[in-house]
Amino acid sequence: MSNDTHILPETRSWKDIPQQVRPRAMSGEGRRRMAMGSMRAAIGAAVIAGVCWGAWEVAAVLRDSPDSMPEAAKSDRVRSLVLVTDGVLDKTWLAKTLSIAPDATLMGLDLNQLRQKVLSDPQVSSAAIVRNFPDALTVRISERSPVARLMAQAEGSAPSMLLVSRDGVAFSGTGFDPAMVETLPWVDGIKVTRVGKGLAPIEGMRAVSDLLASAKLEAENLYRTWRVISLARLSTDGEIEVHTRDGMKITFGTKEDYLRQIARLDLLVDASGDPTRPLREVNLALGAQVPVAYGKASPILGPQPASALNASSARPQISSPVISSPHIDIHREL
Amino acid sequence: MSSKTSFIGAVEIGTSKVTVLIGEYTGREIVIIGCGECSSRGVIKGSVVDYRAATECTHSALEIAERDANERIDYVYLAQTGGHLEGFYNEATLNVKAADNMIEPSDIRTVCDLAKAKELPLGRMVVHNIRRPFRVDGRLVPTSPENLVGQKLEVGYWTVHGQEQRLADNIHVIRGFNLEVRELVLSGLASGHMVTSMEERQNGVLAIDIGAGTTDFVLYRNGAPHTTGVVAVGGSHFTNDISIGLRLTEGQAEKLKLRFGRAVVQSRDKNEKVWLDGNFSIGDRQFSRHAIESVTAARAFELLEVVKKKLGHAYSPETCAGGVVLTGGGAKLPALAECASHVFGTSARLGEAPSWVNENLRDPGYHTALGILYYGVSVQSDRSATTRRKSGFLHNVTRLFAST
Repeated sequence: MSNDTHILPETRSWKDIPQQVRPRAMSGEGRRRMAMGSMRAAIGAAVIAGVCWGAWEVAAVLRDSPDSMPEAAKSDRVRSLVLVTDGVLDKTWLAKTLSIAPDATLMGLDLNQLRQKVLSDPQVSSAAIVRNFPDALTVRISERSPVARLMAQAEGSAPSMLLVSRDGVAFSGTGFDPAMVETLPWVDGIKVTRVGKGLAPIEGMRAVSDLLASAKLEAENLYRTWRVISLARLSTDGEIEVHTRDGMKITFGTKEDYLRQIARLDLLVDASGDPTRPLREVNLALGAQVPVAYGKASPILGPQPASALNASSARPQISSPVISSPHIDIHREL
Repeated sequence: MSSKTSFIGAVEIGTSKVTVLIGEYTGREIVIIGCGECSSRGVIKGSVVDYRAATECTHSALEIAERDANERIDYVYLAQTGGHLEGFYNEATLNVKAADNMIEPSDIRTVCDLAKAKELPLGRMVVHNIRRPFRVDGRLVPTSPENLVGQKLEVGYWTVHGQEQRLADNIHVIRGFNLEVRELVLSGLASGHMVTSMEERQNGVLAIDIGAGTTDFVLYRNGAPHTTGVVAVGGSHFTNDISIGLRLTEGQAEKLKLRFGRAVVQSRDKNEKVWLDGNFSIGDRQFSRHAIESVTAARAFELLEVVKKKLGHAYSPETCAGGVVLTGGGAKLPALAECASHVFGTSARLGEAPSWVNENLRDPGYHTALGILYYGVSVQSDRSATTRRKSGFLHNVTRLFAST
């Protein structure tokens, strides 16, 4: 008689009772013990993961170690530099930035040091450098896009124009099309601080960037007239002031949707088409109530020569101020 | 701390009190390092009737014991009692397979499986399968029959089973403290093992554990448990009888029971009076000592008679040379041994804990918890023998995750 020939009835033992209980059926101490147990398990898992990661890293270091490379690979010189970018920087900039010696071998390069060199240009937001055997060095970078510009002057030096990205980083702007740069508005009402060789990020640029992006997308005709963006009242009142080429001052509030404010502005500009009463100030930061100030109508003193009339119709008789680029002093951080 | 050291928790959720003992087992000996005790609430006749109350008092006792031991336990051995526990005997016979009639391990396994295989009614679960000694061609084999020669191998199991919900309630009370229940141990078996000697068990002995709500009994024969049972009557019924008979509150009746209760009537003078409090306070009054003794003696006699009746033919004074051993909190009733001797027709004595037990834990009320601890040690030593070959690091990692 073998075991297989028996069909034994199944007897249920107390061990078939599931021992799990819901947390709400547990006492405070029980829940605490369970949490401690979970924490112990998590720490255990983390330690194991850490050990595995460490082992993997050590293996990677050993694998990439120059000692483990064949002699032929070690002696290969860098013959080509490959730049992969999402912006405007080119190989010339790369070669100048890296300044690799002509006789440098691929394995002799310190990639971390080269990466730091690339990242020292604030126009580059991230960079990765890899060796492509036998003789190529590939640099992958991600660049910052300018949303505005500013004129900064350090003590004892000539003023220079800098571009400002969405995250507030100011950079010289290598390789950008001058026509495109010309369309960017100036930033005013800020205090720029020098940190090391560069400048500290400008606060509030994210809000400005959102406003400019909305305007550019929804009302490009208006955006084209914007000359200066003032952030003077941004931190205190949550307002952004825009000065147009026509001398109009528009105040935007950061608490309300920019699209709605731009739509109101567009409506106002369309509604006040009277050239004799040009808009001088529009405050969109107060919600549905939009205070508007008009300029004075130009007095017509009598018949004028046709040339003068033509000139006046071509340009309304408002005093169009010549707005120069705002000048910002750079303060050294103490 | 040695890597072999383990901490064993023993929990008894009784009707009157919850007892937790923590023992440090070094592989050779056990040292009781923690004890927690708490008045029981939400437990009637060994069954949980109020989950929250039972949980609170059990967890309090566990916390006290852990604090006392200054160690954290991960699992416990839990005592199980209650009127819902029942037992039956089932046996199986097997013709030995081998041509030379030598019994092989597979024969033993098969006959054991057959003897244990018995369908239970719906909602019932096995708590213990207690094996009685093997028989080879009718001759008793107290140990393993492997390699003995015979044609017929017999074995019987005393199966203890209980109601699923009540077993689950007890387990969930412990799980509420995030502790694993490693084993359920019948209270009677635990306490019986503590108060009887191997020789007594070999000769036959009846151990009766009288708790507050239940009375557990186990009859040993040939060195192994033969029959077990639970009667849903305990010390609290003595109190209740006095309370009803003398029209007292439960607290007052308990006080009288402890001071004047006896299992055999001693007082001959029916006019002899005893004071309830004896401190001349307002409400203090006198009661007949004879009446108190009569009530407790009648109940003690009845209780022991019920146990005897439940044992039926399994018990006879001739097969119980070791006599009757009484334990449990209820066994402290004076003259109970005398009463038991009268009922069972054999010698009876009050059980005592082994000499190695600390003086503070020698009270009969701790015998069950001590027995569970002892049971845990035997299980632990069996386990350590089988797991000795396991790799240390891997085993510890497994334990780390298992503890969650």
